[in-house]
This record gives sequence, C-alpha cells and structure tokens, in this order.
Amino acid sequence: MLKDITLGQFFPGRSFLHRIDPRTKIIAALLYIVAVFLCDSIMSFIILLAATLALIALSGVPVKIIVKGLKPLIFILAFTTIYNVFFYKGDHILVHWKFITIYLEGVVFALIMGLRIICLLTGSSVLMTYTTSPIMLTDGIERLLSPLNKIKAPVHEFAMMMSIALRFIPTLVEETDKIMCAQKARGADFSSGGLIKRARALIPVLVPLFISAFRRASDLAVAMECRCYRGGSGRTRMTKTHFGARDVILFTATVILGTVIVLSNIYFPIWMI
Amino acid sequence: MTKLKLVDVNYTYSEGTPFRKDALRNINIEIEDNCITGLIGHTGCGKSTLVQLLNGLLFPTSGEVMFDGKNIKEKGYDLKTLRHKVGLVFQYPEYQLFEDTVYDDIAFGPKNMGLDKDEIDRRIREAALFVGLEERYFEVSPFDLSGGQKRRAAIAGIMAMDPDVLILDEPAAGLDPIGREEILGGIYSYQRKRKNAVVIVSHSMEDMARYSDKLIVMNGGEVFMQGNCREVFSETDKLLSVGLDVPQITKFMRELKSKGVDVRTDIFTVDEARAEILSKIGGRGNA
Repeated sequence: MLKDITLGQFFPGRSFLHRIDPRTKIIAALLYIVAVFLCDSIMSFIILLAATLALIALSGVPVKIIVKGLKPLIFILAFTTIYNVFFYKGDHILVHWKFITIYLEGVVFALIMGLRIICLLTGSSVLMTYTTSPIMLTDGIERLLSPLNKIKAPVHEFAMMMSIALRFIPTLVEETDKIMCAQKARGADFSSGGLIKRARALIPVLVPLFISAFRRASDLAVAMECRCYRGGSGRTRMTKTHFGARDVILFTATVILGTVIVLSNIYFPIWMI
Repeated sequence: MTKLKLVDVNYTYSEGTPFRKDALRNINIEIEDNCITGLIGHTGCGKSTLVQLLNGLLFPTSGEVMFDGKNIKEKGYDLKTLRHKVGLVFQYPEYQLFEDTVYDDIAFGPKNMGLDKDEIDRRIREAALFVGLEERYFEVSPFDLSGGQKRRAAIAGIMAMDPDVLILDEPAAGLDPIGREEILGGIYSYQRKRKNAVVIVSHSMEDMARYSDKLIVMNGGEVFMQGNCREVFSETDKLLSVGLDVPQITKFMRELKSKGVDVRTDIFTVDEARAEILSKIGGRGNA
C-alpha cells in the first residue's frame, strides 16, 4: 500500500556516498541535473549512463530498491514516451497508417526522454535522499543557504520546518493507512463510485488525519519548548561536518562529467536531437 | 456455535523484501457465539495483526479464515457484508471520529449498511445506552468531548452496526481505572444482552479474568495457551515463564499457599478468593 513508496526514502549505510558532506552532495546533485539536460548525443548518453551506474555502485543501495522506487513513476514515463513517439516530427518515416505517422526521430527522442527522466530521478535520489538522512540533508541546506542570514532571511527556521515536514511524512502515511482501515471496518468504501463519490468518501479519512496532524504539531511544539528550543540564534550542532578528500573527489568528478558531456556533444554529434 | 474459525493461519509482513517479518505462525482458533473471548499477549505478539485478519482487512499469507463456515478469501466473497457482520474497534478509536455531531458519527456505520432512518436512530440510542453516553451529548461535536467520552462514542459507532462478532482492540487502553471499569462493564452487559460473540484484546490479566469467558494467550506470533479462565490461570508457572502475568489475586492465593495455608490457587477473582478464604476459616472454626 502507501508504505511501499521508496522514492525519497533514506537507505542507511556506510558507503562512499553516505560519508560525504551533505553540502557537497547537494551541489553535486545540482551539477548532475544540469549535466542530464546537457546530454544531446548518443555518446553523451552513454557517458551519463555509466556515471549513473557508478553512482549507484558507490551508494551501496541495492538496485532492487532503486527499481522499486521508480515504480510509482511508470505512468509519467509511459506517457512521455508514448506522447513523443506519436507526435514528434522528423524526416525518416517509420510507419505511416491512416492519420498516424511515426518518425524514426520520434522513437529515438522518446527513448532518450524516458532515459533522461530515469537518470534524473535515480541520480539525484542516489546522491541525496537515499544516502543522506533527512536531518543531514536539511543541515546541508541550512549551511548552504546561511549567507542569506545576512539579509535577515530565517534560514534556520526554514530548514527546521523542512526537516520536521520530512520527519512526519512516514508517520502521516502510517496514520492514513490506519484511519482508512478503521473507516473500512465501519463500512466505508473507497474504491467504487464516480469521482465525486470517491472524493466524498475521503472525508472520513481527511478530517481525523488533519486533526491528528495538528495534535502532533502542538505536542511537538510543547516538547521542543520544554527542551528550550528558541530558534536558530546561537544554536550549535551536535555533529559538525567537514569537507574532506572524498568531497573533493565527488565534486571534481561531477564537474568532469559535465565537461565531458559538453565535449562529447561537440565532437561526437551522432544522432543530434 | 462457531462464528469465526482460523485454520493453520500464517501471516508475514513484507514478504520477499529485507524487511520480511513473521507476525503470525500456525494459528488455529475458534471464535464462538455467546461468549467473550479474551485475546492476551505482550506488545508485538501479533494480536493486532490477528484481529485485522478476522474482518478481511488483511488476508493470511497461508491458511484459511472461515466466517460462518465460508472461506473469506474465496473469489466473490462479499467483504463489505463481512465487515458489517464482524465489527472491529481499533486501538484508540477516538482518533477516527470525524462528523459534526456525536449522533452523526455513531450513524456513519449503520448508514453505510443502508439502513433506514428510524432503524439507525433506534440503534444509535441503544448503543449509546450500552456505552453510557448520555443523550445530551448527541448534538455536541465529538471533538468537544473528553477522552473517555470520545472512546465511548467511537465504540458505540461499531456497536450500532449490530455485528455478529464485535472485536475490540485494547478498548480500555490509556483510561483511568473508573473509565476502564465503565467501558469494559458496558461491553460486558452489551454482550450478555446480545448473546453474540465479543473479542477483547488486552494485556491486562485483571480485566480479562473479570470479563472474559474464554482466553487465547499469544506469545511470539503463536497461540501459547487457550481455554477458559480457570484452565489458563491455573497454569501460573507457564504464564510467568514467558513473562506474562496472572491476576494479583491469583498471586495472592499462591503466596498464601506457600505460607502453609491450604487454599486453592486456581482462583482469579476477588469474590471467589473471599469465599475460599472464608470457607477455610469457617472450616477451622468448626473443627
């Protein structure tokens, strides 16, 4: 059920990627995303695929888990691919039947788009969510954004809100599951009827869920105040992260990846799209 | 008569993943009409998983769950009707209230069953009476009730469905002693009047000794012992060996016996203990 969604979940471990400073991973992920969009030729895609596989290997996250995490995206993937196959115009006609024309370019482009989405999600989630605990991730974001403190932006509060939100996703998912079961036991029906009927059927789930979310929030606020939480000013950290050799390696490797992709686009422009 | 029957039931969470966990192993039990069955065990022994198997919210990994002699896993089995006939009150049911008024909330289950208005009204009043919820609360928002009253309203919501089997998962958890007494007492008188099957999940031996006719003791996902209260509580050592308790009065009688007073130790209610001790004193006085 809802519990089976693994995308965006932390996978505990001690791999190379797990031990890198979260700041480096965030920057590397951004560079990686740029690199994905720069890919414009078959050669650059081969390089990108190799880099993504290398990242998976370095993260120690089982491929099975990653594939499972992609499952919820099957609809988006299928839609993008099929859409491009039918509507992309090119010069080489592959199939022509009544009003449907499929071009060779369309098929290639569709495959590339699918691959691009898969690489984008796998790469960025392996770099960030799978290998970085939510606490570390928000810590990293907070420190990357800390220059904004100078213009009085509430960076710490923002990061704290984010980490609390992330922390409560699984809790709320579990709670939703429980409430749905309880209402099913009272004869509620979530899986039949039209759109409006189904939407109405969710009221018995959403009302208790909202109430319990507010209850939890108020409990948490009291608990934090009891432990003297007063916001960001003067707050120190339990774990201090430092840049090390690993960070330099990852950062350099990502920069090289981007450069190589750009160069391969220029020097091997095979199947340029 | 047997209402629910579990045959060789196993249940495994997250089968085929690294998070695989055996929750239930080899469960063979029967839930009978006109009987309060107490389901006892430590936290995490599989009690809550077991009750969800009873109304088809979960299905066994292997084995069969039979209601009125029919396997609920069979194709075309009407699960909706099953859930009307097997009412399940979850742990902390007060968190599932959602309607504007207490009355409407209790009406949710019966309404889903498609009953007419008068019948729903009759059932609501009856159920509220059983759980001790006064009529002046009917038009109040359920969120303005106290914790104990919310619990009553939630339990009434299932009772109003008039199920053949009523299952309550820790109905008295987190309540003060008076609240416990009132809720459990209400369930007891409900069952005695209805003569249907009631299953109460609990880890309080005291409560179970008072209110149940039959006991099923679970340990580590298996049925550890079952029988009536006397049979189960007479095997104190066996219960203690897995870290389960016996009612305090049973302990007291054991202590008394070890001090040299010849009393029975298969006693689990205070009244019975009193009679036993009086008979011993009286016996000595006559001699």
